[in-house]
Amino acid sequence: MNLIIKIAWRNIMRHRGKSLVIGVILFVGALLMTVGNGVISGMDQGMQENIINGFTGDIVLVPEKQESDEVFIDMMGKTIEQINDFKKIDSVLKTIPELRAWVPIGKNGAMVLNEEGGSPGFTYLIGVDFKRYRKVFPNTMKAVEGKLLSPGEAGVLVPTGARKQMFEVSNIWFVPEGCEADTSQMFPEAKAMWQNLLAKDNIVFMGMGADNTSTDIRAGVKGIVKYNALNQLWGNFALVDIESYRTCQGYISAQDRATLVLSDDEKQLLDGDETDLDNLFSIDAGETVVNSEHHNDLDQPGEDAIVSGKEQNQTDLDVGTYNLVLVRLENHSNLDAKVSIVNKHLKAAGTGVRAVTWKKAIGTIGSMAVLIRMALIMFVGFLFFVAIIIIVNTLSMAALERTSEIGMMRAVGARKGFISTMFFGETALLSFFFGGLGIIAGYLIVKMLAICKFTSENDMVQLLYGGDLFHPFLSGWDIIISIILLSIVTLIAVIYPMLVARSITPLDAIARE
Amino acid sequence: MDIIDIKGLKKNYALGSTTVHALRGVDLTIAKGDFMSIIGPSGSGKTTLLNVIGCIDNATEGSVKVSGREITKLNDREITSMRLHHIGFIFQTFNLIPVLDTLENVEFPLLLMRKLSKQDIRKRAEKLIEEVGLREYIKHRPAELSGGQRQRVAIARALVTNPDIVLADEPTANLDSVTGEQILNLMKEMNRIENTTFIFSTHDANVLKYARSVVKIRDGLIVKEA
Ligand SMILES: Nc1ncnc2c1ncn2[C@@H]1O[C@H](COP(=O)(O)OP(=O)(O)O)[C@@H](O)[C@H]1O
Ligand SMILES: [Mg+2]
Repeated sequence: MNLIIKIAWRNIMRHRGKSLVIGVILFVGALLMTVGNGVISGMDQGMQENIINGFTGDIVLVPEKQESDEVFIDMMGKTIEQINDFKKIDSVLKTIPELRAWVPIGKNGAMVLNEEGGSPGFTYLIGVDFKRYRKVFPNTMKAVEGKLLSPGEAGVLVPTGARKQMFEVSNIWFVPEGCEADTSQMFPEAKAMWQNLLAKDNIVFMGMGADNTSTDIRAGVKGIVKYNALNQLWGNFALVDIESYRTCQGYISAQDRATLVLSDDEKQLLDGDETDLDNLFSIDAGETVVNSEHHNDLDQPGEDAIVSGKEQNQTDLDVGTYNLVLVRLENHSNLDAKVSIVNKHLKAAGTGVRAVTWKKAIGTIGSMAVLIRMALIMFVGFLFFVAIIIIVNTLSMAALERTSEIGMMRAVGARKGFISTMFFGETALLSFFFGGLGIIAGYLIVKMLAICKFTSENDMVQLLYGGDLFHPFLSGWDIIISIILLSIVTLIAVIYPMLVARSITPLDAIARE
Repeated sequence: MDIIDIKGLKKNYALGSTTVHALRGVDLTIAKGDFMSIIGPSGSGKTTLLNVIGCIDNATEGSVKVSGREITKLNDREITSMRLHHIGFIFQTFNLIPVLDTLENVEFPLLLMRKLSKQDIRKRAEKLIEEVGLREYIKHRPAELSGGQRQRVAIARALVTNPDIVLADEPTANLDSVTGEQILNLMKEMNRIENTTFIFSTHDANVLKYARSVVKIRDGLIVKEA
């Protein structure tokens, strides 16, 4: 063995040019593979962190009636079912350990009606008690124009993405109340036609949540917001106060409940049997005071819209309808196990909701890192494929060039296995040295990139970073996998040349003389 | 006792559509400890004969016994082992592993054998290097040696395993006459010291004086044994 390594090593040094060619290929391959892996791991983790901490929480509670778990971006456009008894859910959640915080939200699509007669737009609405929402998801957004919602304030926060989208559809440029249109915030197309631009500080939404029971609401734009991370993803969701949201979607609002619940008997009913309660409040379209208007008439939208923005009194918001509950955990580990525990509790208490992981709730976007990783694997695969071809070619030629030497070794008594091992040893040494160097260099580059703490406000770059901060990293597994891949490549590349070398006979050597 | 016993050996090569009869029925016995020369003109079959004896090429027909073992029916592994343990080679030119120095080249077959300890291998190799007169060149690589010196290393390497026979195919063909004579003298000396059977081929009648016995070959047939 010693002898083989000695010969292999000296042959590498003797045929420096060829060794270098192979070495450089292996180095570059290993380097790109390692750096790519680091970037993707960082992206993956960053994406997860930012999605969980900034938007979905770890666990999402979905109405049991909801068919699909994909409640955030549903390709089929299915509306999200209602949660009408959040208080019960709340009390169940309080009994489960390891849950840090949760917030109920309304989430469904809404038409953005165009009072000028142009085409209506569409946006997703997130209805929240903003104060509570901020407690569970602090520091996720900032107002680039106007301000955020203050506690109890009614109104809408429009993300930059949604504003752009609505502008593209209906040529309306939304600005916060009391603000001038800020051209510095405009993207070029909008700036170009600034003179003809219609600036508005309120939006008329028509909910698409409940069938035939939606109402137009006019919501004041309080702020134009930008999510710190992944604005590209969340930018399509406009945040609106929960009561306006409920009115808009035709849900029962806390206000409705408060005015309806009058007698002590009925109060008792509220705390008591659920079916009775349902009977009492089985809301049909047209039966309640506020939620009666059904608009098919898009020609004159917003005419009789209920003006949102009036002071919301101190009603208990939780008696009204929600769509989802976002739950954050103390830590992210063992998500699946925790989900099933939460599910057990929810089911036992008959809450009518099920818990799903944020990954399932977010759907395809959550697996974007997987897709990009696959793209990298294909790229690295192609790279290695080319590398293998070059190495096979170079080594086979090297084997043939050394026919005399190899044949003579065989004549002196070296077995085929000895020749194979010698050849393999050479390539393995090269691979170990240069490939190892590539992995180490890749590791250092990843470390350095991480130290640099690159941040980006650019939406597309943020997708690559997995958030606003570029934080590539390599796990032990990433490195082990790199080493395994490198070994496999070496093995594949060496097989054919090894067979060529093995088949050289002493006679081949003599024939050369 | 005969170390080599050849009967009715024929060797054909297919050359395109024709067949070359390199050996047409050779009968030959060689005694242990002999220092035999096979002489014949170019193309007469010397190399072919030595290759078959040396287990480098296989016979088309006939029987070849080396050290009492029939070698015409061995598989690759057995034949490799035969070369390692019973035969030493000295080729015309390409003899040594370029990346190994003199000592390592001489040690090489012993390392393949894995019989002796490292120290014993070293001792044995050094002894032979000493005997072929290359003590000062022990750390030199083949590229740093002259043609004659390389052949000396090859002789030491061929003898280091204590083989039954050493085969040398025109070992002096690429050397000037003075160096050639030195090499033959050395071979003869080693034949005496180690009592190893030597068979060498030549087309040069001038070197016949070194041989103890001579076989003349022409067109694949032995024409005279002396
Ligand atoms: N591999 C081969 N293929 C075809 N013919 C060969 C081959 N090797 C040798 N020969 C032929 O066999 C004959 C004997 O060759 P060889 O043993 O090399 O002669 P020598 O060594 O005496 O010069 C020659 O005619 C040669 O051309
Ligand atoms: Mg010849």
